[in-house]
Amino acid sequence: MKSNHRMDRRTCLKGIGASLALPFLDTMAWAETGKSKTVKPPVRLGFMYMPHGVIMEQFWPKSPESFLTSPPPALASLRPVLNQCLMMKGISGVPIAPFNGAPHALELSTWLTAALPDANQRDVIKIAISADQIAANFIGGFTALPSLELATMPQTHKENQDGLNEGYYSHCSFRSATQAVPAEINPRNVLNRLFGKSNKTGSSGKADPLDRQMLDLVLGGAKDLRRKLPRDDQHKLDEYLDSVRSVERRIAAIEYRQKEAALEAAGVSVSKRLASDSPPIDIKIPEGEKRSEYMEVMCDLNVLAFQTDTTRVSTYIGSTPNGVSYPELGFNDEHHSQTHHNNEADKLGKVAAITAFNIAQFARMVQKMHQLKEGDGTLLDNCIMMWGSGLEDGNVHARENLPFILAGKGGGSLNTGRFLTGVKGNQGDLLTTLLACAGIPLDRPVGIATKQIREMTTFL
Amino acid sequence: MRISELPSGLQRAKALCGFMLILTWTGLAESRVNRDFAALKADAQKSFQDGVTPFVKTYCIGCHGQDRQKGGINFQPALSNAGDATIAKRWKQAAANVKAHDMPPANAKKQPTDSERQAFLNGIAQIKFLSQKDPGLFVIRRLTKVEYGNTLHDLFGVDPTIARELPDEVIGEGYLNTLSPLQSEQYLSIANEVLDRILPRGGATPSSAQRRWLGSVPRSGADLRVAARTVAGSLARKAYRRPPAEAELDVLLGVFDLGRTNGLPYYEALRLMAKAVLVSPQFLFITPQGEGQPVGGIVRLDDHQLASRLSYLLWSTMPDAELSGLADRGKLHDPAVLRSQVKRLLKDPRSRALFDGFGAQWLGLASLESKTFDAAKFPQMNAEMRWAMYEEARLFFDSIVRENRSVVRFVDSDYTFLNGTLAPIYGLENTVTGSRMRRVKLTDPNRGGVLGMPGVLATTSLPNRTSPVKRGVWVLEQVLGEKVPPPPPNVPALEKQDQKTVAQLTLRQRTELHRTDAVCANCHKILDPIGFGLENFDAIGRWRDRDDTGGAIEAAGELPGGKRFSAPKDLKTLIAARSDDLARNLTEKFLAYALCRQLEGYDEVVVDHLMETLAKDGYRLQTLITEIATSYPFTHRRVQDSIASTLHEK
Repeated sequence: MKSNHRMDRRTCLKGIGASLALPFLDTMAWAETGKSKTVKPPVRLGFMYMPHGVIMEQFWPKSPESFLTSPPPALASLRPVLNQCLMMKGISGVPIAPFNGAPHALELSTWLTAALPDANQRDVIKIAISADQIAANFIGGFTALPSLELATMPQTHKENQDGLNEGYYSHCSFRSATQAVPAEINPRNVLNRLFGKSNKTGSSGKADPLDRQMLDLVLGGAKDLRRKLPRDDQHKLDEYLDSVRSVERRIAAIEYRQKEAALEAAGVSVSKRLASDSPPIDIKIPEGEKRSEYMEVMCDLNVLAFQTDTTRVSTYIGSTPNGVSYPELGFNDEHHSQTHHNNEADKLGKVAAITAFNIAQFARMVQKMHQLKEGDGTLLDNCIMMWGSGLEDGNVHARENLPFILAGKGGGSLNTGRFLTGVKGNQGDLLTTLLACAGIPLDRPVGIATKQIREMTTFL
Repeated sequence: MRISELPSGLQRAKALCGFMLILTWTGLAESRVNRDFAALKADAQKSFQDGVTPFVKTYCIGCHGQDRQKGGINFQPALSNAGDATIAKRWKQAAANVKAHDMPPANAKKQPTDSERQAFLNGIAQIKFLSQKDPGLFVIRRLTKVEYGNTLHDLFGVDPTIARELPDEVIGEGYLNTLSPLQSEQYLSIANEVLDRILPRGGATPSSAQRRWLGSVPRSGADLRVAARTVAGSLARKAYRRPPAEAELDVLLGVFDLGRTNGLPYYEALRLMAKAVLVSPQFLFITPQGEGQPVGGIVRLDDHQLASRLSYLLWSTMPDAELSGLADRGKLHDPAVLRSQVKRLLKDPRSRALFDGFGAQWLGLASLESKTFDAAKFPQMNAEMRWAMYEEARLFFDSIVRENRSVVRFVDSDYTFLNGTLAPIYGLENTVTGSRMRRVKLTDPNRGGVLGMPGVLATTSLPNRTSPVKRGVWVLEQVLGEKVPPPPPNVPALEKQDQKTVAQLTLRQRTELHRTDAVCANCHKILDPIGFGLENFDAIGRWRDRDDTGGAIEAAGELPGGKRFSAPKDLKTLIAARSDDLARNLTEKFLAYALCRQLEGYDEVVVDHLMETLAKDGYRLQTLITEIATSYPFTHRRVQDSIASTLHEK
């Protein structure tokens, strides 16, 4: 975390109020009140990451029976919501041969792609679209932002493992095989991005009414340019076209909100929120550099984005596989160096503390979601939140039983409150099943997947 | 060197024992670079047929062929496409394994003779001559965050920090040349901010700012569209860094019309047009000028693209008037002109971008600002100290470039740059005071050069102690250009040791336990001595005679080849003597930075040629930079035809 993100003591969203929380396309089914009393809110999908694996003895529950009654130490913070959680042992990561020398470059980049980079073009990004971006392609079209990508640290790690592009170290989201999606690390910017507010001095703070049409003309020009370029350049320009279209859509969403706010102000009720739904949560942007406070606000922003249906897909790279320390925990050792613990008690303890710390941030987030009313239940009921790591055991870089925790019922699609052992499946199977739970039709499985994992769901 | 394709962790680890020796194989043919490339190619083909093909068929293909592909390796296609760039990487790996006697495995029935091994290695060493002459791709490149901010500054005089909210990124080799919705949103919002800053919204009469940035007020009765087109032409010429095509001006005029149709006054419509310029791909990317690229093959960069590539390389910003003028007149590709421009750009203060972009990354100092240090143990590692360490390295790097010194001076110099904050690290707090950084002559031979430089010593340490292993890897990889493989997976624990005994050992004795294990020993016997040779410098670069356990520092050691040293100053001398390796390393790293990609295939031949030229001049820095900026891959690009373009139209 860099020091230039020091913020005002607090920023409250009070006053943005109910007009926030609206999907802008009228084709949307959710919240079309008046037609039916039991409208089903959309399923949202969130992923939160910690690198380097866990201390297995402290992470995996002793047995399916003891999962709820005496969970292992790493899960202590999740106790109040364990009934909303699902854990499975037996999901293997992507085997990384021929990149055996790149365990850390690949732990994050294989996490949501369940795929390996192209071994013949290692120095560029060439992997596969990630599960979150597949979801964004389907359910992202209904919201102002197709997806939200967050991270705690800048994604600038320089290290060459097995000749792989540095981007593989610090990115989990890939919009296409060649397009890594950068994450936002500044909470203030996330807030602005979610709600189109500008805090810049001298700025009108409003979307320029002609911006969308101006961008349309620019896009037309870009297509002319594209026609004249060699093929590789064309592919690069396609990323530009794609991203500008997304900006146009976001502007449309903001315009829609502004119109609605105007109507509300004029006394015309257009709100589609249920009166019983919880109001949007407050965001407090911390002043200091405390990791827990920083992660808390990033998690809160994720909650707010989901609660207000500003996006339905998110990733949060809570920590990155390089040079990260946790001074807040009372020691300065780097996470990675401690994970090669060789079973030394001191290092085991530190890794366990780092893991518990990360899970506690996740636990805070899902508990907050559980406290927010939405429709007939809670926000968490309509979410699938996954916390996980790309390695099982950082000491030996094992990835046989990937550690992860699912929280939320996914609109009733996930069968929670359980710990399943002996599950046979891989990372791709897991992601494929999660996308199915979010109602996303797939024409092909994610990465190395061969099937869906029936035991997880209520419908298979 | 890549070792990823080997079948198992154990075999991989065993393969490492010869890895250092292989690193010199690229030099085998260096003396012959002046000979005709075609003759070299013929030679290489013969060496391949005589030394490699029979070797592979006899000893390798049984396990690594079409039928069995152990470790996923199949040599069959490689035999018929020996010069292919991607396969070349495999060959290097194969050479490493064969040289190390790791392959064929000890239990194989047939073992090659030493001369067969040598013939194989000779053949592989010449494979680079089988590659096609190829400058590599230069796909339209998005400006980096830094370049974008500087360019906005040069265009409109705004502070470059206007770009601060864009995601931070890796630059040079490894640069993610992609664009996401997040970035596009930010480009639009920054464009708005730029225009808000330079064109304050005001009254009805045109302001001086409007006239300054958007042209004078058209005469009454003048055709406003004609006037607007002139403004578009001038804005786009600067912002696109090349003359805009008529069709590109049509697009901008369309935006002007959009504004007018919606009732905007003349200058407001121009403002919208200026915003369109700032979110156009021609501004955000370095794009070629040509309307129709030659189909297929290799093209020379047009002069404007070359001007941009050069100015972004040396200045991290857009070309200035002189460079643009030369491009307009079609003079820039003339080698003499290009050389003199490189010299001119290097003299300009803007060339400090070379350190911020390349030097800091090379020396690993980019991470110094955010690195964690144990605050109780090293309270002095505050922001001022980190800044001073960074500045020391920057000014040192800068002095070598500006004074056109040899690359050897990076390792062996007798001066540095200090201020009162940094001086105590050198024990010079009585001589150097105050906050200003200044050049200081050093009398301690252990200092002077990057090996004894606090910023480097600190970034290669752990938060609370030194790491001889990290320092060893750093010296090998960043200074000498050797590739150190990562630790093998499934590293066995060092647990069998008596814990009490271990606790009493010095760091050196403990680290040496690595070498009692065969799997670790191969690498660590090379890494550790170098790292321990620097143990007299603590984790923030202060001199010490005893380590944290109170044990005396034993800095003595031996490099591969039997060269012994007893203190940092000896290590410095030994490494400085390897001027060819130092120069080749820096040449390769800077070329990769300049090209924004990894080097491969034909690039190796390019580097051979560069080394020949640089050696004659004593490996001086300005020569190195000039030769790279005028090199074939920097001034040319490979293009793929665009036949499929209409089919893939979105």
